[in-house]
Amino acid sequence: MKIKVTSVMVENQDKALKFYTDVLGFVKKRDIPLGEARWLTVVSKEEQDGVELVLELMSFPPAKIYQKELFQAGIPFTAFDVADIDKEYQRLIDLGVSFSMEPTQMGPTKLAVFNDTCGNNIQIFQVL
Amino acid sequence: MTFYKRHIESISTELYSNIYLTKQVIQTKCFMENNFSKKITLDDICKAVCISKYHLIRSFKKLYGMTPNQYLILIRINRAKELLRKDGAVLEVCFAVGFDSPTTFAGLYKKIAGVSPNNFKKSKKSNFREVLQN
Repeated sequence: MKIKVTSVMVENQDKALKFYTDVLGFVKKRDIPLGEARWLTVVSKEEQDGVELVLELMSFPPAKIYQKELFQAGIPFTAFDVADIDKEYQRLIDLGVSFSMEPTQMGPTKLAVFNDTCGNNIQIFQVL
Repeated sequence: MTFYKRHIESISTELYSNIYLTKQVIQTKCFMENNFSKKITLDDICKAVCISKYHLIRSFKKLYGMTPNQYLILIRINRAKELLRKDGAVLEVCFAVGFDSPTTFAGLYKKIAGVSPNNFKKSKKSNFREVLQN
């Protein structure tokens, strides 16, 4: 058994694809029609054979409540590894991304949290 | 301030209050990342940042979830993967990443990467042939 995909729930797949590719820098890997929604995945530019992130359409009402509560508490839905968090923070700020937590050191890890504009807080981290 | 940010600050205060020790352990990690290809020992690592073996092993595991030796092996195997992808010979790669025994290298590589270095190279070659045929 292998971990090949993970997912993030999004309110709008077109908007999410634009943010996750144009702003975060991921690359679109699969786009398969599935009725109202699509099996839409992106991968890291540096690791295109790595784990795929599914930009999954949020269509289950109880999950919407869960997502909303997480968002309001500032809790990240998922996290991405970066090589230099201060540089990445500045790059995203310059692109207009809104952060609820600026780079903050917690032991040997530095973390920051931003709004993905699709209903989620996303954490970036650098292991020092 | 969000609930999450307060939570992170509280963890930092409770678990990582010894900033000097955290800094020392981070320095040992950097030392291993910069010197993994050489024959380094735990003594060398401790000497480089003036920390006792006992403190280092205990603190490193607390901060990174593995011992310094496990981390050193991980850096070496990850670098070996990169070199094998670039078509390096298994024996050359073994020595280039700091191992002095091909048997130890092959065993640890298989344990961590899930496939032996030789099989990794074979699968890479057959994938390449398939791409050419298509």
